[in-house]
Amino acid sequence: MNEVFVNMGQIGVLRYTGVLVTVGLGSCVGVSLYDPSSKVGALAHVFLAKSRDNSNRELIPGKYADTAIPALIDLAVKAGANKHRFEAKIAGGAHLFNTFNADMPSVGQKNVEAVTAQLNKHNIPIIGKEVLGKHGRKMSLFIDSGIVVVTTIGQESIRI
Amino acid sequence: MEQKLDFLSELGNIGASYATTALSKMLNDARLRLTVPQSRILSFAEAASFIADPEEIVVCVYMRLMESFQADMALIFPIESALALAVYLTSEKTDQLTELGQSALLEVGNIVLSSYLTALSMLSGAKLNPTVPAIAVDMNGAIWESILADAGITDCVTVLDTHFFTDKMELSGHLFFMPDHDIYEIMSPKVSGLLLEENK
Repeated sequence: MNEVFVNMGQIGVLRYTGVLVTVGLGSCVGVSLYDPSSKVGALAHVFLAKSRDNSNRELIPGKYADTAIPALIDLAVKAGANKHRFEAKIAGGAHLFNTFNADMPSVGQKNVEAVTAQLNKHNIPIIGKEVLGKHGRKMSLFIDSGIVVVTTIGQESIRI
Repeated sequence: MEQKLDFLSELGNIGASYATTALSKMLNDARLRLTVPQSRILSFAEAASFIADPEEIVVCVYMRLMESFQADMALIFPIESALALAVYLTSEKTDQLTELGQSALLEVGNIVLSSYLTALSMLSGAKLNPTVPAIAVDMNGAIWESILADAGITDCVTVLDTHFFTDKMELSGHLFFMPDHDIYEIMSPKVSGLLLEENK
């Protein structure tokens, strides 16, 4: 099966068949959009909640939640998706190093909140999620079915 | 810019040599050999694909420096190396990474990373107080990106690779030091003077 890897800060899209994979989601959040009718799926690996420096925004739109979600929608629509049929799934936003800044909201938590706010803003329902916690994740979006499989070390894979 | 990179590389090499000397002492000098390659400066895109096998399970000890300037530091071992090191240090007969093993590795990380800071502190005269170290056992990619995100890395990152070898076991690991850009302005005036003297 055609496997396409989406690196940190990147976005990817496939239609009809194949699988979009992102590995090593720590505090980052993986966001998948899927249109079941056109069988278009897109995946982003969001690094931080908000862009800090404007110079890099256009260069790597997938890096920040506020630029990644619009870019992901555009990419999927250009590949043939209808934006009114998008279903989103999200995974990641973990906090791996537990002792540090325990009373502050973690980077992962901020990422999950930012991604959720962006999806809400674009009226895209989140139909599955596997977020927060202490461990990193791998996220795979199967394009023919829209199923997302999330893997964590030492645990059974989860379907969302 | 090139001057800045040279400066950071030099600083990193000095820090890493202190850090690896500390590790060598913990492993009974004679048994350990190590190499310290040049530090590298990676762009964000390069950093994103820097970890060759992001699914590999590793053990990472991480600490952050917040006073004087910001820096994130991490000592990362592949799980096999971490286990071999833990067994060596604890003399436990186990093929699992136990709680005792993890606490030994946390202490190794603490000593190694603190030695790195001692070198920087001696060079600059700056007081460098790190946070309490934390340990994680997880996918290499997840650890790497969590550190980058915590550090708020938006453009480039300085990376050091340090490899350890012993007669009885093979240890390999990564020592990462990721300073904020302020480090140049803070440390450069003092350290550059010292290095210029050395190079004359």
